[in-house]
Amino acid sequence: MKDTLIERCEAGVAALLRLGATDAEIYGQSARTMSATIEKHDLQMARMQEETAFGIRALVGDRIGFASTNDIEDLQRACREAVTLAKASPGDPHNALPEGTPVVPVEKLYDPESERFTADRVVERAIEMLCIAEAIDRRVILGDGEFVAKRGERAVANSRGVAAAERSSLFLYSALATAKDGDRVSNMDYQFGATRSVAGIDVEPIVRRASRNALDSLGAEPGRSSFRGPVLLSPQAVEPLLIALLLYQTNARNVLRRQSRWGDAVGHRVAAPALTVVDDGRLPGGVATSAFDREGVPHAPITVIEQGTLAVLLHNSYSARALAQPNTAHAAGSAQSVPGIGPTNLTILPGTASKESLLSEMRRGLLVTRFSGNLDPVSGDFSGVAKGAHLVENGRVTHAVSGTLIAGNAFECLENLSGISCEQEAVLNLTLPYVRVEGVSVTGR
Amino acid sequence: MQKQLERIASHADEWTELRYHVRQSRTLAVRNGVLEASTSLRLTGVGVRVLSLGVFGFASTTDLSERGIREAVGAARSAARTSAPAKRDRIQRLAEAPLAQGRFPVDAADPLDAHTLEEKLALVLSVEEKLRSASPKVVSSTTSYDEIQDEKILVTSDGASAHLFDSKPSFRVIAVAREAASQAMGYETVGVTGGWSDLFSRRTADELVERAVRLAVDQLAAPPPEGGASVVVLDPELVGLLCHEAIGHTVEADIVLGGAVTAGKIGQEVASERVTMCDSGLSPYDAHAVGTLPVDDEGVVAGRTVIIERGILRSYLHNRETAARYGVAPTGNARAFVYSDNPIIRMRNTYIEPGEDDVAAVFAGVRRGFYLKGFGMSGEADSSAEFMFGVREARRITDGRIGELVRGVTISGNAFDVLRSVDAVGNDFAWEKGAGSCGKGQPAKVDAGGPHIRCTVTIGGRQE
Repeated sequence: MKDTLIERCEAGVAALLRLGATDAEIYGQSARTMSATIEKHDLQMARMQEETAFGIRALVGDRIGFASTNDIEDLQRACREAVTLAKASPGDPHNALPEGTPVVPVEKLYDPESERFTADRVVERAIEMLCIAEAIDRRVILGDGEFVAKRGERAVANSRGVAAAERSSLFLYSALATAKDGDRVSNMDYQFGATRSVAGIDVEPIVRRASRNALDSLGAEPGRSSFRGPVLLSPQAVEPLLIALLLYQTNARNVLRRQSRWGDAVGHRVAAPALTVVDDGRLPGGVATSAFDREGVPHAPITVIEQGTLAVLLHNSYSARALAQPNTAHAAGSAQSVPGIGPTNLTILPGTASKESLLSEMRRGLLVTRFSGNLDPVSGDFSGVAKGAHLVENGRVTHAVSGTLIAGNAFECLENLSGISCEQEAVLNLTLPYVRVEGVSVTGR
Repeated sequence: MQKQLERIASHADEWTELRYHVRQSRTLAVRNGVLEASTSLRLTGVGVRVLSLGVFGFASTTDLSERGIREAVGAARSAARTSAPAKRDRIQRLAEAPLAQGRFPVDAADPLDAHTLEEKLALVLSVEEKLRSASPKVVSSTTSYDEIQDEKILVTSDGASAHLFDSKPSFRVIAVAREAASQAMGYETVGVTGGWSDLFSRRTADELVERAVRLAVDQLAAPPPEGGASVVVLDPELVGLLCHEAIGHTVEADIVLGGAVTAGKIGQEVASERVTMCDSGLSPYDAHAVGTLPVDDEGVVAGRTVIIERGILRSYLHNRETAARYGVAPTGNARAFVYSDNPIIRMRNTYIEPGEDDVAAVFAGVRRGFYLKGFGMSGEADSSAEFMFGVREARRITDGRIGELVRGVTISGNAFDVLRSVDAVGNDFAWEKGAGSCGKGQPAKVDAGGPHIRCTVTIGGRQE
């Protein structure tokens, strides 16, 4: 019988120590992935992939080297290379591996039913997405789409007592819709969904939303008005503007890199009191749920921003040690990269006002469905095109506008945040409401 | 391995493509004096594509035994047959093309493996030290070196059998400067197809440091621009970006078939007659462009494709499937990033050909406008050729003279409108996108460039 993934990781750790490493870690992942892609509004291709990969960290004193391979026969060579890289590298006193801590398994991560989810069922779901789009409107083209069924295992072992493994299943689906009416081509709209269980698969809402947004932008008139005022951001627009800034600023690695302003901001106000942000790696059924992080440290729910006040920075073991703060178990990444820092299931808690009432309070403003642009996460400056945008006048959505640019500063947006909707939408691992921010520059053509 | 793949392909009763690929990549990254990455990544496997009942199926495996590869062939065939009943638009045939045979070594006189890890690490550490100490305003400094080395064996059941090698090193520097509450970033990159000594042939590491630091520091006090339509001069990097992101994707035949704005426009005027735009597997005007490849991943010999000739749309970019649909020859644009990716239509080196204007004359015609240089980290374009790009460095031009720096600039518009507005094309040329990758479900190393051009774009600024 073949060794299990965790046994291979543990054997690799022992081999690394024999090769001269003073500490060692191996992260293994194996996955079987089936997918069916849509292109040009037709089924494009079914694919099957099986891969096992190992990420190897070797420490020699406080020097560290990393190697990765997807070939079990190549594991010995990769271990030697990791040790060689460590020996050639300068030391860093914060290089260390986490100590082993008991890991409590999470629920709803693996659906045994996924083992019976065959390739033809993957293809069927992709076809279903095409049929739904056609039933909505013949002008909708799914230019791109995919249904992916993935199940696999991850394991991590280190020389400090970490030994953890878990299985998971995941179904991911996405649809990119464009509407075409004669010579008029709409903006594209991209939506995605995910679930851990076969019973949870529901492709309909994402196809409907992408189609509706594409159709809505078909009749858009070039935006003519320019002003500075309120903008209501959809959950999908909140992500690249506010969440991107927040994740960059709370990433302890960026604090160490002196690229975050929030290094000394824990306990201080960084946003309007309406904003509370939580992160829960153990959220049942969550897209980013797992019992332990990339280094084998158990996940636990945390509050990141409490009523506008920064509560914690996000850490892996390196940054926690370097900043002498508790490790929040946010080591992230695959077997093919050194552990970085990333969120798990991140949520902006909902407000009390409805989206409609937030709109009704706007004298002149813009509703933004998607943001296509540039955020400098260091300065907070952003500027880009408001996609699927609608002009709001005297509390009512008047019409769709194309080619309208928005610009401002995301730090100021967090402070000038003037409303959070009670409605929320899932954007993969994020659960986000509509957010209204003030003082954004809106420029028509 | 080549013999084994040829044997399997020769027994295939349906069109079969086998691609053995070993990717060895290394990264060294130093930030603020701390070594952040010292990594080595090897990916080995075989990707298999089978055309059955008019549909492609794809499977990949890491089992390199003949049995393992045959099983992958079976999985790919089964994937194709499973989807065939639902496929509406079946593939009737693949276009004929000269298929590559033989050995294709990389054009690298000074191979990467002839240089030790210690030597590469010493360079990264010393450049980061220079970056950090270049100005007291620099608060964060990053330097990184990446290399990709590939060995591929590509065999198809209709006659391709090629053994290919590739080598692509790249280097990046990033400086963050701060003064009071103002913070700004400057960065510079180089990337080539070639060896160690080719990497800094266009720009030395010291030049990268000097440019990144100057940009970060100078931007600290720079004001935002006023928004609106403006005459601008684009540098070769932004010209390349416009060619690749905003035009190039809309002429990829799979995107065209999906309803891009270029559909049905072959032979029509889409740009100023000063504009000739190409995509090439070769590296014209300046050697070592990063998208250079002798053979694509369907075995088609990769040459130069003229997309727009003096303003007229002449060709899309094809793989063997789309070329057959359009009744044209494949252009050698089918590419897969690693063994587990199936080949899709990708660009290679995309550029506007140099024109006849002296670069000074390109600027001299601007009474009031901006000189826009380089890509500002993020941007987007879609199949209607609408684009938005961040600009790394923007300076005012007044009566032909380059002046004050402004910050936070984005440009947007429709790329074909921009190309129609081109009224001067410089006689210079540079490849400038070598360190980056293009994403289309899977990455690809691509290059892009051109001369300086003068045109009109919409500048995104702030309303006060």
